[in-house]
Amino acid sequence: MYYFDHSATTPINPLVLELMTEVQKNTYGNPSSVHSAGRKAKIIIEKARQEIANAINAEPFQIYFTSGGTESNNHVLWSLVSIKNAHIITNVIEHPAILKVLEYLEPHGLKNTLINVDKNGLVNLKDLESQITKETRLVSIMFANNEIGTIQPLRKINKIIKGKNILFHTDAVQCLGKIKVDVKELDVDFLSLSAHKFHGPKGIGILYVKNKKDISSLIIGGSQEGGLRGGTENVASIAGAGLAAKLSVKNLKENSKKLKDLKTFFIKELISFFPKIIINGDLIDSLPGLVNISFPGFRSDILLAKLDRVNIAVSSGTACGAGDVKPSPVLSAIGLDIKLNLSSLRFSFGSTNTMAEVKILLKELKIILNI
Amino acid sequence: MSRIVVGLSGGVDSAVSASLLLEQGYDVEAIFMKNWEDDSEYCTVEQDYKDALQVCDILKIPLRSVNFAKEYWDKVFQHFLEEYKLGRTPNPDILCNSEIKFKEFLQYSIELGAKKIATGHYVRTKNINGETQLLKGLDPNKDQSYFLHTLNQNQLSQSLFPIGTLDKSEVRIHAEKKGFTNFNKKDSVGICFIGERNFKDFLKKYIPAKPGFIIDELSNVIGQHDGLMYHTIGQRKGLRIGGGNGQSTDAWYVLDKDIENNQLIVGQGIKNTGLYKKNLNASNIHWINDRKPEVDQLSAKIRYRASDSLCTITALSKTKITIHFEKPQFAIAKGQSVVFYNNEVCLGGAIITSSF
Repeated sequence: MYYFDHSATTPINPLVLELMTEVQKNTYGNPSSVHSAGRKAKIIIEKARQEIANAINAEPFQIYFTSGGTESNNHVLWSLVSIKNAHIITNVIEHPAILKVLEYLEPHGLKNTLINVDKNGLVNLKDLESQITKETRLVSIMFANNEIGTIQPLRKINKIIKGKNILFHTDAVQCLGKIKVDVKELDVDFLSLSAHKFHGPKGIGILYVKNKKDISSLIIGGSQEGGLRGGTENVASIAGAGLAAKLSVKNLKENSKKLKDLKTFFIKELISFFPKIIINGDLIDSLPGLVNISFPGFRSDILLAKLDRVNIAVSSGTACGAGDVKPSPVLSAIGLDIKLNLSSLRFSFGSTNTMAEVKILLKELKIILNI
Repeated sequence: MSRIVVGLSGGVDSAVSASLLLEQGYDVEAIFMKNWEDDSEYCTVEQDYKDALQVCDILKIPLRSVNFAKEYWDKVFQHFLEEYKLGRTPNPDILCNSEIKFKEFLQYSIELGAKKIATGHYVRTKNINGETQLLKGLDPNKDQSYFLHTLNQNQLSQSLFPIGTLDKSEVRIHAEKKGFTNFNKKDSVGICFIGERNFKDFLKKYIPAKPGFIIDELSNVIGQHDGLMYHTIGQRKGLRIGGGNGQSTDAWYVLDKDIENNQLIVGQGIKNTGLYKKNLNASNIHWINDRKPEVDQLSAKIRYRASDSLCTITALSKTKITIHFEKPQFAIAKGQSVVFYNNEVCLGGAIITSSF
């Protein structure tokens, strides 16, 4: 399998798997129990919490484990429902784990404003500034977009909202291990992560919370995770998430460069035999390793199927329950017409990809595109 | 061996079709078609997809999906609504076959490198002198040639129907042997996008209902209807006409719709002569072999569940024909298709415009 869909998920790091297997086998204690088996589990969790904190320059008490990026986002948004007339500003190309939640919460009294993005997917800062009202309690802008890779100017946004009593959340699910994620530098109040995006296990996410007083509980019924999220902890997955985070930031610079090189090589070669391609998203402020490309005159679902036949995995549009390709709202938002939208593929390279694999991808694309 | 793309619905018929093609040595791939966007509890698409996935896992063939919801909406559903607005009883499943399954899906599959497509319809094809004939399925209870009568030579010659020679029970046995979890899945009934929901509630969302009077054959007002579109010729249930309103205690049947005056005309008793007509006019004529066939014994059926009945055709014009049945036909509904047969061979059909 030639896997170029690392923005969807990543293969688990063998060291992470080894640790998880070991924990699953030998650490059966409930972390809340006071006996030695319980303490052993508790220590594993706290170690992982420290590792996550180290990876994003936070303090361990600011790290909360969730079931994934979607829950982390939900947690922040639901937390505002109890505030009367609360208003949220976000943008049109956020993940559904933001947009659909806001749509759902609107009739419950949570107002929202979606600001537009330009043709590269960058949020319009003037718009953002003009939409702030005295009721605005939260601005939520993703760090990097999952479909086109555009990196948002978080620090500029922060300058705009500073001193206005507005909390700042960013969905950084696509970022860890690819670009620097430093909560102090970014100066955010909340940040969402998901372990399976950085070679950790699925079903475990992280929510960074700067000040606990700014958020309320999402899952009630247990005192775990500081009472913010009740329920016996997923010990092995938490351990895996911690190690995966540690490993993914360890070689950030080299890794980032490698991803960038693979992407640059891929684009350059592709253009040389198929100059008609259109690259979607920002060319500079963009995640290394992720590129979204339109192939005018081709249907993305056909391209996907033909690549799948030769064991190459890439993705397109928004995946839904029945596996069909629908126009991507992100690509529509940056101005692609429906035809171009449905001719777009996302290639997302990972640290385990090699140049030789990218060459195979190019060779097969050449055949499929009939060149 | 050449590549065949099977349209997999999640049901047992298409699953067994794929399995049979594999046994015949074809290179089989499956495609799940999504033709309707619906988040309601009536929509079974997610379960259907999971069933299709399980089948493909057992057969070790790839499953892909394609979304034709826009094409379906534009080419099938809009027409369906137009017809209902005009008080007719359209058959969207026939249009879905000619416009979506054997047009969009066929083209798509060919583009994917398929030699032919296959579906789980109970019909057969036969090659005679370079022409492809459409034959009834061998299971008399399941024959679906009625729904495929608008296909042309090009479409039929590129299609395979692996279960056309089987009985439904044989299909289910094959599926059970293979370990398909859908082996005893209920047959889908009615119009696919409406599913199990209330037809009236569904239609109301798209077409404003115009209530009016129900009258008997002598124009006496005997009740009220919620909208002519909710009724079809021959319908008995749901008329809400109390007993004692008529001359007898016999059940009331819809005899006709007076679109102009928005009145529903009803009569009593299953034997009411107003329910039986021997002649009908039809338009949108389609012949599978591109021409009116010269056959010794012509028969036709006026709806899917009717049996075919001997008839003759006279041409009114190039686009209109009159069909004369030997025996009176029960409840001929405008908008339904009349489909012609010569014994087991399906010849084509037309859309009913009136009856007399």
